[in-house]
Amino acid sequence: MKTNFYEVTFIINPVLEEDQVKEVKEGFESFIKEREAEIDEVDEWGIKRLTYEIDGKNSGYYVNAYFHAPGTIVSDLERYFKLQENIIRNIVLKYDNKMLKHRDLQKKGKLPVIFSETPEEE
Amino acid sequence: MKLPKKSDRKTHPFQKILNMLKNPAHPKKGNLKEKECKFSKAGVVYIDYKDVDTLERFINDQGKILPRRVTGTSAKYQRQLALAVKRARHLGLLPFVAENLR
Repeated sequence: MKTNFYEVTFIINPVLEEDQVKEVKEGFESFIKEREAEIDEVDEWGIKRLTYEIDGKNSGYYVNAYFHAPGTIVSDLERYFKLQENIIRNIVLKYDNKMLKHRDLQKKGKLPVIFSETPEEE
Repeated sequence: MKLPKKSDRKTHPFQKILNMLKNPAHPKKGNLKEKECKFSKAGVVYIDYKDVDTLERFINDQGKILPRRVTGTSAKYQRQLALAVKRARHLGLLPFVAENLR
């Protein structure tokens, strides 16, 4: 079956206990695995401050994941995120060729540097 | 019909600006900068919404995306940049409107 490369980022309610957060994350992983996804990487950014209030919360627990999966997963994922009360925001991206190239460079740690260390003086 | 003599032809306005920049004696020389697209220069293939530090350089203190005429970003990358900023805003990484300004 033809698969695409996807990136998903979502924010978990920060009020939850540590094991509850883990539960939500593992729930997500098993959900995509059930749909024949092959996980590439799951990266937890941890609790970060939000720049504006979302659902009365000022911070959130970020999880960023990459995986290969058939295209049918997208609509399932969208419904899944809607039903999860503890996930307050999410984004699902399908990677195109340019983004894949970017991902490749990112893995090798060879991303082009846009700004050198010292900020330019105006 | 004959074309006017070369010396009589009008210079294209864009060419005029280029000529002006080349002239070291021009009074506006110091004020006009030839801008360069930071993304083209670095050889970026895709602008990532997760790269908040870079994106922050292209928004003002109100959280608005800076126009091309200010940053010198090429049209191609400005489109990508706008998309990346909007994705970052959706995820609460960048503000829609910066508060605490009065």
